[in-house]
Amino acid sequence: MIEYLEPLINGILLGGLYGVVGIGLSMVFGIMRQVNLAHGELMILSSYLSLVFLQVLGLHPLVTLILVAPLMFFIGYLIQILLFNRVMQRGMEPFLMISFGLSIIIQNALLLIFTPDARSLETAMVIKGVDVFGLFNIPLIYLVNFTVGALVLTALHQFMKRTYMGWAINASADNETAAKLMGINVNKVYAYALGIAAVTAAISGVLVGMSFTFYPHSGTQYLIIAFGVVIIGGLGSLPGTFLGGLVLGVSQLFGGRILGPGFQLLSGYIILLIILTVRPQGILGGR
Amino acid sequence: MPLLEMKDVDTFYGELQALFKVSIEVDRGRIVSVLGANGAGKSTLLKSISGLLETRSGNIVFDGKRIDGLPPHDIVDLGLSLVPEGRKIFSSLTVRENLMIGSYTPKARKQSHKTLKGILKLFPSLHARISQKGTDLSGGEQQMLAIGRALMSRPRFIIFDEISLGLSPLVVKELYRAVKKINQEGMTVVLVEQDVKRSLKVADFAYILQEGKVTLQGNPRHLTEETVKRAYFGL
Ligand SMILES: Nc1ncnc2c1ncn2[C@@H]1O[C@H](COP(=O)(O)OP(=O)(O)O)[C@@H](O)[C@H]1O
Ligand SMILES: [Mg+2]
Repeated sequence: MIEYLEPLINGILLGGLYGVVGIGLSMVFGIMRQVNLAHGELMILSSYLSLVFLQVLGLHPLVTLILVAPLMFFIGYLIQILLFNRVMQRGMEPFLMISFGLSIIIQNALLLIFTPDARSLETAMVIKGVDVFGLFNIPLIYLVNFTVGALVLTALHQFMKRTYMGWAINASADNETAAKLMGINVNKVYAYALGIAAVTAAISGVLVGMSFTFYPHSGTQYLIIAFGVVIIGGLGSLPGTFLGGLVLGVSQLFGGRILGPGFQLLSGYIILLIILTVRPQGILGGR
Repeated sequence: MPLLEMKDVDTFYGELQALFKVSIEVDRGRIVSVLGANGAGKSTLLKSISGLLETRSGNIVFDGKRIDGLPPHDIVDLGLSLVPEGRKIFSSLTVRENLMIGSYTPKARKQSHKTLKGILKLFPSLHARISQKGTDLSGGEQQMLAIGRALMSRPRFIIFDEISLGLSPLVVKELYRAVKKINQEGMTVVLVEQDVKRSLKVADFAYILQEGKVTLQGNPRHLTEETVKRAYFGL
């Protein structure tokens, strides 16, 4: 039993990180019925922005979020106003093309500026461990990831339930025409929504950058994780995204423990396939 | 000067013309009824006023200000509110949230709690269901919710698009009582219906539409059943 406790706990902790990785994709789909293929690049862009602030100002990676998060909100807001809002009414393909194009542009810009070298947001949290009942050690960074992830998802949930902007986002997603009749400028609301999604990208980008090395092309890898999380949990559902992260994290680490480290990613996707077969709308997906 | 004045408005769906030189005036404090068969262009008229549809020619003036060409959210902000056909309750919001989102404009926000109290007094049955999902309510309650939501913006001018559609006579009676009360509190009302008798009874003035044109207008007390029928059906 004990030997499975470690992958279970680590899987849950990893899942908290996966939840924030997936939330931006899930939100945009839930609100706009669109898939933002550039979400992974928004994350990695945030990792590099954090790296710059860390080197120039000597801040702790988590503290750089004070600058990176608002900057990413602004970038997300502008992307929606300048690009995405122009094609919202034309089905899914134009949005996919534009966001794919954007992802390539961001990737290559990062490559140009930062070279293809591996980077990381160095912090002592990676080395420090937390002892679990004297049985094994958990890297401190895993605990930080999970805590921040859970906080972000809870804060977002409260924001959606309690604020005018949260209601307006939901109302615009439900019925755009009726939302306009409430005095809502839906284009502006969508821009806020993408801004918020970009803030979640900023947070997950910094967490990921502290936990693993990253390259200009790392975004793709996280987009795939985000897809996994969102498909397992249910598109557009906030609690579903958190649950999806946990399921993916736990199944990866369990698979790795039982079948060997090489099977870690594969076992995650096998679980994804099974869920897709049994419950195509995801565990908590309604629509 | 009338509160709302619409002059020679043409509106199209693509190449299809749905309104032909429609002119309408609504005086302050009145209940004006717009009647017409299914497909006559009533909802198109309302969408043109509220900014949901672009007009191709003519002009619309609300309280001395031209509003044709303005986006819907700016028109709401000026104090004109539409209760849309089919209610269009937000399915992911609770009853309370559906009402609160009605007070989205900055002016309305400041008084939202006071306004909410008034609305729950007007429709007490919403009070008991305040935490339920909006779309879980009965048809009649959803219509009350749609009206309440429109009132939350504290409009001076409120338009109802077929609020009695598909509802029992008892519920319709309650809705009409609310409409009269809203009018007595000073709001100008436009009432769009297919049901001629009931809406003529409460209206100060009536317009009848047929195939996108105004075919008859006048004080309901001076309109004979014969002329109304002809204007309505084109017999
Ligand atoms: N979205 C639309 N696209 C094309 N034609 C429409 C649309 N909505 C309404 N129409 C047409 O415009 C005319 C007027 O419709 P409408 O204003 O909805 O009538 P009413 O509300 O009086 O029943 C009808 O001929 C209808 O078929
Ligand atoms: Mg209609």
